[in-house]
Amino acid sequence: MSPPAISVRDLQKSYGDVVALDGVDLTVPAGSFFGLLGPNGAGKTTFIETLVGLVRADGGEATVFGHDVEREYRAARDAIGLAPQEFNVDRFFPIHEVLEHKAGYHGYSRTEARERATRALDRVGLQAKRDEQFSQLSGGMKRRVVLARALVTDPDLLILDEPTAGVDVQLRRDLWETVTDLNESGTTVLLTTHYIEEAERLCEKVAIMSRGRVVETATPDALMDRGTDRITARLRDPPATAPDVAAGDDRVEDVWMEGDSLVVTARGGGLVAPGLVRALDRAGHELVDLDVSRTSLEEVFVDLTDAGRGGLDESTDPEADALAADGGSP
Amino acid sequence: MSASRVQVATLIRREVLRFVRRPYNTFLPPIITNTLYFSVFGIILGSRIGTVAGVSYIQFVLPGLVVLGSISDAFENASFSVFHGRWEDYIDAVTTAPMSHRGVVAAYVSASAVRGLLTAVLIVGVGLVFTSAPVTHPFHLVGFLVVTAVLFAGLGVIGGLAATDFDNLTVMNQFILRPLVFFGAVFYSLDVLPPLWRTVSLLNPMVYMVDGVRYGMIGVTEIDPNVSLAVLTGAAVAVFLLNLALFERGFGLTE
Repeated sequence: MSPPAISVRDLQKSYGDVVALDGVDLTVPAGSFFGLLGPNGAGKTTFIETLVGLVRADGGEATVFGHDVEREYRAARDAIGLAPQEFNVDRFFPIHEVLEHKAGYHGYSRTEARERATRALDRVGLQAKRDEQFSQLSGGMKRRVVLARALVTDPDLLILDEPTAGVDVQLRRDLWETVTDLNESGTTVLLTTHYIEEAERLCEKVAIMSRGRVVETATPDALMDRGTDRITARLRDPPATAPDVAAGDDRVEDVWMEGDSLVVTARGGGLVAPGLVRALDRAGHELVDLDVSRTSLEEVFVDLTDAGRGGLDESTDPEADALAADGGSP
Repeated sequence: MSASRVQVATLIRREVLRFVRRPYNTFLPPIITNTLYFSVFGIILGSRIGTVAGVSYIQFVLPGLVVLGSISDAFENASFSVFHGRWEDYIDAVTTAPMSHRGVVAAYVSASAVRGLLTAVLIVGVGLVFTSAPVTHPFHLVGFLVVTAVLFAGLGVIGGLAATDFDNLTVMNQFILRPLVFFGAVFYSLDVLPPLWRTVSLLNPMVYMVDGVRYGMIGVTEIDPNVSLAVLTGAAVAVFLLNLALFERGFGLTE
């Protein structure tokens, strides 16, 4: 059996008194599309930077495809392509040379590095800009360059740290198409994002981080099943008060009238709805329209991270405090 | 070529191309500065000073100016390149790559040493406009130039890792490098100093470098050149090992 793409046990990191990673345990299966969600300062970027060696953990273990990120750092880093949040690209060289250098740092000869750079630029649609310097590109193009640099070595593990922050809808779709293709061809993708709908749509599994810990790991569907769905049944002759049609179903949380509609909130709304329709029919109510709104991953996310944060506000998050203590310079 | 060698060669190439492609920043300043030095110290003052250690003053200062330019550029290139990479975070492309720490240090040091040696050649070229540039001990000349360039490139890497802003780089140059250079017997012979100051001067590594290159060029020396070369080689190795230890610890690079 092949080792997981990422395996982390009790990973710890503190900046002075501020705890950024508080015993993180996480396994990302090889070949998966895995989401890492969490509010600002939850420890997502610190976690990623530990894998590539930009942050040295205080304790715990982390491996990438079975290679310890400190003892076998060369093998671990060779497997990783990282597209960070920041535009940390060499501005002295045209972008095709930036990519060639990155391939060379991974041991590819000049000829192969050149071919790889060309393929990576094709992949992100920037071939026409190959001789431009990074500073001459638009924000969206810069984001593509960062992705191309991560792809130029054909990594087994692609780490995308907030890759669509500040990009337009078209570019976001293009990026996701590229990354989905890569995942389907076997590349493991670890994605951190603030856009919950992206994780909901793309990720097979998500981990939710809060205050330096992984508070939940599950599929997006399993997480959403834990939330409260909303069933809205519009009636032909609505009664003044809500009819007693959900009695005995312990999945139902609340029932009330809202104009000409009966509103029911329940866990597993899709399963509750058929029984509700039958009960309304038995009670003589004529149904005009029925809508079942599933809870969003965002609502579950907020519930989980609020619980993990203990209701504390943004100023108390570890990364924000660490940055503040460091004079605000990351 | 093995993957490890390709990695090092790529970083050396990147570092060398960075300064070669900026000739106005890289090659013009030492040409202008040394033209001024040769004009003032060689022609204007030199004609009044006459001979020093049996050669014309302009020939006496030439080896010192070669060392001065070479080590300054080796140091500044390494410190700027490492610090700028840290400042803009693009050094992450190197530090997150599967390169050995030894390979990374070797690449940064050798690329900056190359810049120092190129500057040395340029200064000799400028000197040839004003005087002849004899080479009496070529192996010593090359040995001293290479070792001093490597030593100061290594010191520049430390500076680049330790700096927290661009002012730090200026401070290192103005308050550490320049005093060493100007009290390093570039413009005078140690013989003109009182015994106490001559002894104090021997604590300055610049004295050995200038003396060694002067021996290589005009054959004049005040210190045993083989001892000087051995001490400087030891210093260069020690600084390289310190560079290695700093990269292994992630000093200035890893949180």
